[in-house]
Amino acid sequence: MTNASEALLALTAVNTFYGQAQVHFDLSISVARGHIVCLLGGNASGKSTTMKIILGLVKPRSGEVTFDSASLLGLSTPQIVRRGIASVPEARRLFADMSVRENILMGAFVRNDRDVVAQDLDRMLTLFPKLGQRLSQRAGSLSGGEQQMVAMARALMSRPRMIVMDEPTMGLSPLYVDRVLELIRTINQEGVSVFMVEQNASLALEIAHEAYVLQTGKIVLSGPARALKDDPRIRDAYLGGSEAA
Amino acid sequence: MSSWLDYTINGLIVGNVYALVAVGLALIFGVSRLINFAQGSIYLVGAYIGWVAVVQLHTPLPLTIIVVAVAAAIVGLIIERFGLRPLQNSVRIAPLLATIGISFVLDQLVMLTFSPNPRALPSQLPDVRFQLGGGTIGPLDLLIAGVGLTSALLLFVFLRYSKLGWAVRAASQDRDAAMQMGVDVNRVNQAVFGIAAALGGVSGMLVGMYYNQIDTAMSLQATLKGVVAEVVGGAGNVPGAVIGSLLLGLVESYGVAVFGTSYRNLFAFLLLVVVLVLRPNGLFASARQAPPEPLTGTFIAPSRPVRIPRWALAVAAGGFAVLPLFPVSFYVLQTLINAWLLGMLALSLTLVAGTIGQVSLGHAALLAIGAYTSALLSLTFSVPAGLAIIGGGLMSAALGTALISPSFRLRGHYVSIATLAIGEIVSLVILNWEGVTRGPIGISGIPPLSLFGYDLISPTSIYWFSFAVMVVLALLQGRLLTSHLGRSFRAIRDDDVAARAYGLSLNRYKSLAFIFGGFAAGVSGGIAAHLYSYINHETFNTQQSILALTVVILGGLGNVVGAIVGSVALVGLPEVFRIAAEYRILIYGIVLLLLVRFRPQGLLGTI
Repeated sequence: MTNASEALLALTAVNTFYGQAQVHFDLSISVARGHIVCLLGGNASGKSTTMKIILGLVKPRSGEVTFDSASLLGLSTPQIVRRGIASVPEARRLFADMSVRENILMGAFVRNDRDVVAQDLDRMLTLFPKLGQRLSQRAGSLSGGEQQMVAMARALMSRPRMIVMDEPTMGLSPLYVDRVLELIRTINQEGVSVFMVEQNASLALEIAHEAYVLQTGKIVLSGPARALKDDPRIRDAYLGGSEAA
Repeated sequence: MSSWLDYTINGLIVGNVYALVAVGLALIFGVSRLINFAQGSIYLVGAYIGWVAVVQLHTPLPLTIIVVAVAAAIVGLIIERFGLRPLQNSVRIAPLLATIGISFVLDQLVMLTFSPNPRALPSQLPDVRFQLGGGTIGPLDLLIAGVGLTSALLLFVFLRYSKLGWAVRAASQDRDAAMQMGVDVNRVNQAVFGIAAALGGVSGMLVGMYYNQIDTAMSLQATLKGVVAEVVGGAGNVPGAVIGSLLLGLVESYGVAVFGTSYRNLFAFLLLVVVLVLRPNGLFASARQAPPEPLTGTFIAPSRPVRIPRWALAVAAGGFAVLPLFPVSFYVLQTLINAWLLGMLALSLTLVAGTIGQVSLGHAALLAIGAYTSALLSLTFSVPAGLAIIGGGLMSAALGTALISPSFRLRGHYVSIATLAIGEIVSLVILNWEGVTRGPIGISGIPPLSLFGYDLISPTSIYWFSFAVMVVLALLQGRLLTSHLGRSFRAIRDDDVAARAYGLSLNRYKSLAFIFGGFAAGVSGGIAAHLYSYINHETFNTQQSILALTVVILGGLGNVVGAIVGSVALVGLPEVFRIAAEYRILIYGIVLLLLVRFRPQGLLGTI
């Protein structure tokens, strides 16, 4: 695994509660600079809550979350975004009544360099050529796959050092699933670290460098993705349920 | 007879005024999913600031508008910062109740500062009328139209081209996603409250000038009209709010033209109820799903109720029962009689709002129906008061449930709006249906309470009578709550989708709750009618609905004992401390605000 000095994002011994119910038990995860790290797990394993902790939408009761060696705890979500973390939320969460162009530009909300933002918009259109014809359309009228493209473009517009993605392939057609995974790899090769939460383990392990398996709030398995891909325990841990789904 | 063109112009002008209120409501609802019941109070504050500026400081008109806009915006910012921001993470009902409390406090402060008497607010414009086709138009009409259009244009530019405007739009479509883009939602809220308050304040000033009169009753009316216009246009939809407002202005104006002035508000509320029932997303909503209202379970604060042993309740009841045997003053008995009457209303409301989760803001209408039925039965048909009161209860149960039933499909805030409107409709029907209700004159000479042929005139006998009725109703309701029926009610409140999935018929259970609650409230109204011997359409008003809601929240939503404790506390404590009548409403507003902030589950906890 990675050692602490090269970790861009690190969660250490995080315990989270919703009221009385404990969601995370001593959760520790680290994302190395330049890597794709995947958090696998079934329903109600605490995956999405992990995303919310990183983004400051949920506060853990104990533990530490650091980004680039500085603590994120106590920061508001907008402040965390300004530190360089962008997100592709679960189910995309586009601004449905705003145009595609406005959605993508909303991603640059924290930036003040207008001219460069305009250039970045053009760059997004070369990365996601399909969006070019859709720019003035309502974002809510796009197909799921197209919405996923907008969500990714929107996240990239803040020029983040890291993107967190919640189930980026959920609800997409097989064609788009491949396209999305390809794009995640491209984004990563341009230097952006990626932390993604996925149910679809076999696909996620294709592109990830490291992976963690979360089961009812505890990490039960972790290691390099290549090693995990062939690990029989991964099926025992959770894939059985996922394959049936 | 004025021409139709005149009515059209008038409708559009009034619609412009409503639009200034409704746009603010729509902006706030968009960002916070909150109906801001304090919007009318800001409108009131704006009117009075305008009065101070015009009459005392003699400011020229453009300066007056700026002063009003800025001062009202500051009030809006204060409300957002100190009234609502602390409630960000509390249950969904909390901010709604807070805006009601804030509205009471603001209205009362204005009333205490300026006295409730109406004042003239001169427009500072020349009094000329220009011919326009078959109608006429004056400079004030043009000013209102100009302010309306300018505001709309400024708002459009702000939302479309400024960074903060983009943030407002993004936050109103998906608050969490906007935060993940780096939008500071607190700043967005500030902006929205500031803008809404500035527009609302200017609107109040313009209305004051239009009618050359301002008074403190303007506040509630403005809130109601703004809410109507906003919901008609689709909650949270800014252009929809403008069109809804113009439509409302026209409907009212034509309604007045055909039926007369006293029907103006009736049309507004009928329009609201029709839209809520047929198109709850407003006239212009796309075919999207119903707005993301919360399930009611997250609407009301969950808590563990305080357990009170039965013997303690029995001792307390016994103590109150034998109280008149001791030498207590007439004044104490009178106060407690009021508490028992309010207690019956609170029992009704705690069942409807607490147990089954339909937060009614028009509960006083049930009192009115019971009171009028009982009074008319005993006056017209010489029915003995005891029976007439039961008749009042039955009528309230039947009519109240029938009136509310179209809104059974609504949830959360929309239930509150619908009940508020239905409450207003009842009061307006009473005002206008002169053949039955004697209209604005009211009903006088209602015979005193009687039971089995004996008149109950002494305070002691009235005390016993009202106390006994309340205890019986409370015991029945307690029994109801422990039965499977009570469980079904709570299931519907906590998760209506799940309840429906388990085969519970929501309409049937909501009807049952309103029938039982309607009966208790109707009986309370009936007794009150015979006690007061005179009632009119204003005897049972929205203030009483809100007072009952405060009582119920004080006691703990759904909590039977809490409803009674709350009634005794809110009726009794001001008497104990000899608080002057004009400060009472202010106190109630502050109590409501403090409760929502510090103990949303009430004294005894929600059940």
